[in-house]
Amino acid sequence: MPYENYEKWKTIPQVQTPHLSIVIPAYNEQERIVATIGAIASHVSDLGFAWELLIADDGSKDATVKTVEELGLANLKVLKTPKNGGKGSAVQRGMLAAQGDYILFADADNSTPIEEVSKLLAKLENDGFDVAVGSRAAEGAEEGKKSLLRRILSGGLRMIVKYGLRIGVKDTQCGFKMYTRDVAKKLHSKQTIMGFSFDLEILFLASKFGYKVAEVPVAWVDAPGSKVDTRKEVQRFLRDLWKIQVNNLSGVYRQEAA
Amino acid sequence: MEIIKKTSGSIAILQLKGRFDAHEVAPVAAWMQTQVDAGLAQVLIDLEGVNFIDSTALSSLVRGLKHCREKGGELRLCNLQQPVRVIFELTRLDKAFSIYADQATALAAFQNIE
Repeated sequence: MPYENYEKWKTIPQVQTPHLSIVIPAYNEQERIVATIGAIASHVSDLGFAWELLIADDGSKDATVKTVEELGLANLKVLKTPKNGGKGSAVQRGMLAAQGDYILFADADNSTPIEEVSKLLAKLENDGFDVAVGSRAAEGAEEGKKSLLRRILSGGLRMIVKYGLRIGVKDTQCGFKMYTRDVAKKLHSKQTIMGFSFDLEILFLASKFGYKVAEVPVAWVDAPGSKVDTRKEVQRFLRDLWKIQVNNLSGVYRQEAA
Repeated sequence: MEIIKKTSGSIAILQLKGRFDAHEVAPVAAWMQTQVDAGLAQVLIDLEGVNFIDSTALSSLVRGLKHCREKGGELRLCNLQQPVRVIFELTRLDKAFSIYADQATALAAFQNIE
């Protein structure tokens, strides 16, 4: 694992189109984000292709933006906004700004270790999939340190998603998903849900538009300091599920003719 | 995370393997406190098996370093894998700790001071 690859990425701005863009949505992440950036930069710089890192700040009230900018990494961009719009809005801004052939979004706490990225990339590069979804529910996934409450909720929500929206993916909420560039732009430009359950809408759209979606087992650790208020988010999740149905019936997701 | 405790003379050694994050800080912090309380303020932490360290774990190491120095000792680190090395650099903690390539070099550095 040559350190020189990381050093080059850190200091020399790339001119070619990135093969991979990684988008990290961040809200008040000044404590956790630097370690995650370090782990990602070290690992991905060694994969042998050009790549960019985008931190999509979501109107953080702490020093997230300053902390990240002061790292002075040549191929890292910070997307700023004055207003907190929800995780979905940060991911959307990142996805629409990213230039890579493939675009991954990953959570700021490195809860799915970045070493899993190659599994998703292989699905898109070699197996012809349009979307690869990191999954804690697929066979072979490793789930560490997940509370009983979160396990029960996940199970319940998976059933609702399966039968309510007919989404085949078992784990819609894992913060580790990769798309080809065109598909990322098409899906996220139609996105209307900006909160926690934006993933659900994106996967619903992927299914509706006929994209090939792979569910890839990944390791996942319930990182301490999660900002998810479980009760509130379940309510919002159910409300968003209804919104997706209404949007669909009222033509919000209609695709323009080519 | 796997934790292996050893000693080499008056130096307490902790070898860690796995993800060193907030879930894993308590046993490491307790071990460091026990060593310092017992007058073993020369501590070496071997991070060879660690591929990710989060901000809580970093803070626990900084606290351990402070406690060791208050007792006239030192906390040193060795065998940092590249991701952990990069995290130390980005957080600028590589300037706060004495970091060595391997256990032998770190142990020799303790001997030079004694």
